Amino acid sequence: MSKDLNRGREIHPAARMYAKEHLAGDLSRREFLVRTTALGLTATAAYSLIGIGAAEAQEAFARETPPAGGTLKIQMRVIASKDPRVYDWSELGNMTRGLVEYLVEYNRDGSFSGVLLESWEANDDATEYTLHIRPGVTWNTGEAFTAAHVAANFEAWCEADVEGNSMAARMGGLVDPETNRAREGAINVVDDTTLTITLPAPDITLVAGIADYPAAVQHPDYIGQDPVAHGVGTGAYMISEHEVGVRAVLEKNPDHTYWGDTAYLDRIEIVDVGTDPAAWLASAEAGEHDMTYETTGDYIDVFTAIGWETSEVVTAATLVIRCNQANAPYENVAVRQAINLAVDPNEVLALGYAGRGIVAENHHVCPVHPEYAELPPITIDKDLALQTLTDAGYADHVFEVTSLDAGFERDSSDAFAAQLRDAGFNVERVIIPGSTFWNDWLNYPLSSTTWNHRELGVIIYNLAYRSGVAWNEAGYSNPDFDALLDTANGIQDADARRETMAQLEQIMQDDAVINQSYWRSLYRSYRPGVINADMHPKFEINVHYLGLAA
Amino acid sequence: MALFILRRLGVMVLTALCLTFIVFFLTNLGPNLEKLAKTQGNARMSDAQVESWLDRNGYGQPLVTRYGEWLGVVPGWTREDAETGEITGRCIDPGMDPAAAPRFCGLLQGDFGYSTVSDDEVAAVVGGRLALTGKLMFWAFLIMVPAALLVGVLAGMREGSRLDRSLSTFAIATTATPEYVSGVIFIVLLASSQAGLSPILAEWGWIDGGTLFLGSARSAMDNANFWNFTLPVMTIALYGMGYIARMTRASMAEVMTAQYIRTARLKGVSFRKIVLRHALRNALIAPFTVIMLQFPWLLTGVVIVETLFNYNGFGWTLVQAASNNDIELLLTCSIVAVLVVLVTQLISDIGYVFLNPRIRIS
Repeated sequence: MSKDLNRGREIHPAARMYAKEHLAGDLSRREFLVRTTALGLTATAAYSLIGIGAAEAQEAFARETPPAGGTLKIQMRVIASKDPRVYDWSELGNMTRGLVEYLVEYNRDGSFSGVLLESWEANDDATEYTLHIRPGVTWNTGEAFTAAHVAANFEAWCEADVEGNSMAARMGGLVDPETNRAREGAINVVDDTTLTITLPAPDITLVAGIADYPAAVQHPDYIGQDPVAHGVGTGAYMISEHEVGVRAVLEKNPDHTYWGDTAYLDRIEIVDVGTDPAAWLASAEAGEHDMTYETTGDYIDVFTAIGWETSEVVTAATLVIRCNQANAPYENVAVRQAINLAVDPNEVLALGYAGRGIVAENHHVCPVHPEYAELPPITIDKDLALQTLTDAGYADHVFEVTSLDAGFERDSSDAFAAQLRDAGFNVERVIIPGSTFWNDWLNYPLSSTTWNHRELGVIIYNLAYRSGVAWNEAGYSNPDFDALLDTANGIQDADARRETMAQLEQIMQDDAVINQSYWRSLYRSYRPGVINADMHPKFEINVHYLGLAA
Repeated sequence: MALFILRRLGVMVLTALCLTFIVFFLTNLGPNLEKLAKTQGNARMSDAQVESWLDRNGYGQPLVTRYGEWLGVVPGWTREDAETGEITGRCIDPGMDPAAAPRFCGLLQGDFGYSTVSDDEVAAVVGGRLALTGKLMFWAFLIMVPAALLVGVLAGMREGSRLDRSLSTFAIATTATPEYVSGVIFIVLLASSQAGLSPILAEWGWIDGGTLFLGSARSAMDNANFWNFTLPVMTIALYGMGYIARMTRASMAEVMTAQYIRTARLKGVSFRKIVLRHALRNALIAPFTVIMLQFPWLLTGVVIVETLFNYNGFGWTLVQAASNNDIELLLTCSIVAVLVVLVTQLISDIGYVFLNPRIRIS
């Protein structure tokens, strides 16, 4: 991470405003970092605005420099790879991150820093972004990496009619809804290292979008193809072995000069030992891996007991239990409200996730999100819940609560079901194995879904609750909500957006779209001596940074 | 004899055809195809996208036609993309010239198809996995058969003795404990640094690592040794061992009451000689069939043991294929299963003739 990225460039005026808000206590440090770095400031520059010196800032999120060399084994699912645009699991991004890199990365502390971009800046109303490509980056074919390649990727991300391309949603207004392609003239290559993106409306989520795992930058000749198969990328590693469900091996590419001074390890093995935490533990004790992808629930303590270290990060990752409104009687708002009245989130957090998190408020915006607006406390009243349900005429309805068959998903759904039973509802539990659960996750009438951390509250709303979007698992459609969301997407000022957010959150609560009890802290366990393996709010593992103590 | 074997082979082909058609039918039910589309495309695809994916990948045709394609008696599907004009098809590998592709590509042409979950040719996937299971089975048999015969013979030679009672109890206990119970008990007792024997041994300084044995057999795939392979092998072997031992004991006990044994005894032949020379050969006829029957049983055993110990063999592959609705991989697994069952039965029938001259194949 270079600390001189913003030398000689003007600091975005909004960043100074955010700094004032932070110093006045309106913004947490995390929120401050997310917003200012999204505007193109380096984390160091951002810290300097709030009076934290460079040395101290570096220390706050510095990575260690491990000795070069070594082999590290990571426990993680090895899934069949595909075109990065249609990646549906963070694991896929982690597996190929050593080969195909990203323009920007999201750091543990909530800030953004450049990878293939050296820096970027937004104009005052966030409708035009100027991206500066890092000089000296080459593909492992020897070809230089240029702004034209980035432009080709942006165009590919905007192809909304590619099945499962979730980048199109992240590109927002850049996609022309009529052609399902990038807007004509919106992406401009200024010179070999400069690119401008012009948006029809202000959008503050673009940088977060290009830091997400489906945004791997492909060589223009291989767009739409699987990087494991074509093997062309800017990263220091090559994938030398890839057997689905068994393992993948990344080796340092001897014929490629990597642009960065990281990439310490010679070899990284990804071992897939299935989805059962008991198997991860047995495998860890057998010396088959050195770090987990994620450690959950009681296993956090068990891994500590065998002498492993634990890394924690507080996030906006969560478990949402939602009714799908396409299934009767869940189109009835009273039924959904009855559910939310009956469920005490404190109980679900304690029983389902051992209290490892903070209580949520049924609207899917987290206090760590910059635009979080505090609403009055939610009401929990089991008698009123049953009364509401009876008045709606569904006292005899059997609530079939579907969840995964293991882990906190099962435990929390059990706790949720127990809360409903306490209120006098008829409840049945359905558990489905992990291998099949996700095939139908959008359509279960009442089920629990894990949602990963997102950088901003509006990102979540755009992904999951806008009418007709791909991941709208609640089947929620409300024109008022959509209109307000459009407004929120264009408001860059935090406090102004918070007002709109408060209304959006209120609509979410009033319509009882979801039941959400808690925000999860995420954990990872690793063998002592593994360096820079800290848990990331979005499960990211960047193999370039990993290392082993001498 | 030749006619007998031919007839058996005929039965084998017929069974394989019936079984694969049933598997094909079940895996091609609507919801299963949707599941396939979602695992292959994107877990969060919409219904319209699922339809389009299925259609593009040749799943839109009638069931029987596709079964014929898989068998290799119906020409593989081809499809021209309306927009790009690109021709794709069952027999056209990526990057292949459509004109040069063969018309048929099914089982009869030696093409087992494509495994969607592994993203590789089925033949390439199953081959390596079968070899791994073969290794596991080989060691399991090597432990199981001699141990079972020894236990059975020792127990059966003096029916009702104290030795018989204790060995029988052991045999019944092992065969009454399924793999998924014994495997877990083994892991807790011997392969956990927190429970069982390992912490005690570590405290005494008898073992270096955290655990006595390894509770995961992944490393045994490349490099099997005593520490990483003992638990899976013992888990499989113990279950079969008790059963074979019980059969051997019954057979041995029966032989020991036969007239010719009494005659030998009256002649003054030593007990040791009676057991080894006179009783043993006749007592082993029945266990032979049982041992051959253990092969198909072991196929189900490896499904559990390989999953439990994370050993990526045939059983584990079967679980993966089934849970991801990997049609062509499942079909090949069924063929392998049919082959294993019927070939071992064939060997058992022929071997029986050689062991017991009273039985003839006609």
